[in-house]
Amino acid sequence: MDDQGEVTRREFLKTAGAATAVVVLPRFSEGESQPAAVSPNSRLNYGIIGTGTEGCTLLRAFTRVPGAHCVATSDIYPPNQKKGIETAGSNPQLYEDYRQLLDRKDIDAVLIATPLNLHASMLLDTLSAGKHVFIEKTMFFKEEEEAPIRKAVAAHPGQIVQVGLQRRSDALYQYAMEMIRAGALGKVMFVRAQWHRNSDWRRPVPDAKFERLINWRMYREYSGGLMAELASHQIDVANWAIGAEPVSVVGTGGIDYWKDGRETCDNAQTIFEYPGGQKLLWSSILCNARYDFNEQIMGDRGTIEITLGKGLFYTEHVAKVSQGASKENWWAGATVTEAAEQQGLPLFPETVPAHEGFVAREQRYAREWLIRHGYKTIPANDAWFEELTNFVASVRDGKPVACGLDQGIADARAVIYGNRAIDTGKKVFWPKTTG
Amino acid sequence: MGVFTAPWLVAFTRLTWFAASCLYLADTMSDELKRYEATHASMGTKFTVAAYGGDVRLLAATVEQVFEEIDRLHEQMTRYQPGSELSFINREGASFPVRVEPGLLALIEKSLRHSEDMGGAFDITVGPLMEAWGFFRGQGRVPTQEELQSVLKCIGYQRVKLDPSNRTIHFDLSGIELDLGGIAKGYAVDRAVSILSENGITAALVSSGMSSIYALGAPPGEEGWKIILRDPFDSTVPADVVYLKNFAMSTSGNYNQFFKLGGKTYSHIMDPRTGMPVENMLSTAVFLASATDSEALSKLYVLGVDASRQYLATHANIQALFYLPAGPEKQFKRVLIQSASYSLPPDSLVKFTGDLAGSHIA
Repeated sequence: MDDQGEVTRREFLKTAGAATAVVVLPRFSEGESQPAAVSPNSRLNYGIIGTGTEGCTLLRAFTRVPGAHCVATSDIYPPNQKKGIETAGSNPQLYEDYRQLLDRKDIDAVLIATPLNLHASMLLDTLSAGKHVFIEKTMFFKEEEEAPIRKAVAAHPGQIVQVGLQRRSDALYQYAMEMIRAGALGKVMFVRAQWHRNSDWRRPVPDAKFERLINWRMYREYSGGLMAELASHQIDVANWAIGAEPVSVVGTGGIDYWKDGRETCDNAQTIFEYPGGQKLLWSSILCNARYDFNEQIMGDRGTIEITLGKGLFYTEHVAKVSQGASKENWWAGATVTEAAEQQGLPLFPETVPAHEGFVAREQRYAREWLIRHGYKTIPANDAWFEELTNFVASVRDGKPVACGLDQGIADARAVIYGNRAIDTGKKVFWPKTTG
Repeated sequence: MGVFTAPWLVAFTRLTWFAASCLYLADTMSDELKRYEATHASMGTKFTVAAYGGDVRLLAATVEQVFEEIDRLHEQMTRYQPGSELSFINREGASFPVRVEPGLLALIEKSLRHSEDMGGAFDITVGPLMEAWGFFRGQGRVPTQEELQSVLKCIGYQRVKLDPSNRTIHFDLSGIELDLGGIAKGYAVDRAVSILSENGITAALVSSGMSSIYALGAPPGEEGWKIILRDPFDSTVPADVVYLKNFAMSTSGNYNQFFKLGGKTYSHIMDPRTGMPVENMLSTAVFLASATDSEALSKLYVLGVDASRQYLATHANIQALFYLPAGPEKQFKRVLIQSASYSLPPDSLVKFTGDLAGSHIA
């Protein structure tokens, strides 16, 4: 394994330069680069670094975004190189060395979807090359990478940096947050989130020498494991719902089931605490998928539960006390049965299957309760397509970034400190002077 | 208080406690009007009470008592729990006369009277029919003719025999079952109103899932409680507005509870006389002095407008508002009728607004 690891590591180093160094300096001096000028009517040319599973998911969505054109791809693993070119479908130029991609003057923007340990250096290089950046979550790997990233972003104010926490662009989550801001949940005090699977979380390896390259998520040299790859999404949801980043975290975890040579945990449980005493209880296991994936956001007036493509709202039966006379408006004949309420009111009508029984139909009907309380109907969307459409709009039209530096940094910090809490068994506090 | 406690500390503690109590009482019993609203899940629906008063503790405690009573009624009258009194009646009623709690006996007696008066359009033995159409399993299905005929044999309020003097009930046919789903929630609303009144609350609204409502008194500064009757095709659109005071109303409607099979849409409201879903009716709202009665009479929906007219010719103090289909594009028309003998009780109000305010009541 060590030998294979060394081979892979050399492959990494060949293209990533000093990627594994703690802090990587930009190749270009700050004065050298200029942000790509992209007029509203011109085509946005982009390149992508890393065309593995996530990279191709992004690429597939990006090919559908009007006005954007993939002109270059970069990867060091031949099957991914081929997959990237095929997914782009635009006959892009392939580069083994991503720096050659950055050298191209006709590229306006770059997508980075590589293993986590390479994010910071590639982000800095891309900014230095004058390109706009879309970087996959988690934004960075090590705590000490935050400051150089902040500095580089500040030094390139004309360049967009968007982080690929795609729930920020998901209509379901946006709608849930709108409800939270409107007070549907009352005071949000608790988020419970989990990502449970019953699999080894590995990708197939055709040749053992590629083990570390393909299954980089298993190795601490490259990855923050479950926290970085799964919790990062859900921490971002909690940060968004609570409107803050955590102040401390405790955690536990281990390699207790899949004892297959991996270095990152096969289970992790953390409790993040927020400034107002709110908590995020997060769990991931790889030996049981019964409760699968979801986020439950709980306030003193209600709960929103979100799973993939499905959101349900549950009200709390809490007495309301007010002074003086109220405007009384009572709707008759609009029964929401307890059965429907127990199964939650769907945030999207289409989350209720068409061929269901009465309870599900009542859920569909009960959705109208939300409308009557001022929550508009919106269709579900493709979050990947939406975040990349937003990225193009930010670059070309100055539209606000869907998920920017601050959200990305808050998310990365929580991942780093969460892993530290698990590793040390101690409560980890956020530094007093952050940001 | 221990023997070694200093007298000054005892006095101070008592004084502090007394002062705190006074402050608390002053806060909760101030003359300033307060509104207390709470909901509670029971009987397969959501009960809501909104009440006004000066003492929020009294409001809260009374509403809690209301919910306890509703839960008690649910445990007594549910047919889904084997241990309920109703389940016992259903199991043994055909075997021997079963002794019944007076409140439940009175409700069954009232139900049977309504059934008789409405010629079986309302029938508390309808449960097996609802099962045959799949309403209790959560999936709609169309029973075969054979099934339907078999089920109809087990439906008939006439098969339920009461002996008030011995407080017993007996079924003269095996297979008869009682289902109080069409009246119990209205009864619970009336019980809630009694508890509120007994505790001195004079302005409150009680609803069972907004299908049966009692408006006790009126909100401060208002002549009655504002009730919005929804458009039968769209729950977000108001069709009519009525103000109620010391009066009840109930609705029956297709609303969302229908199912489609073979290109045909079936209502969840069954005609116990034919075993078939009611057609050509969207919704019905009835207005009476009691929620128990209004819930039962919301099944004027089953009778339809013409037969309801005949019913109201001999039954006093009822108004019924029908929403009927009036075109292919979700159009509807209203028909408002009332008893030949109609006079509101003193200090009660049923006031329609908009189109219905000046309409001629047939």
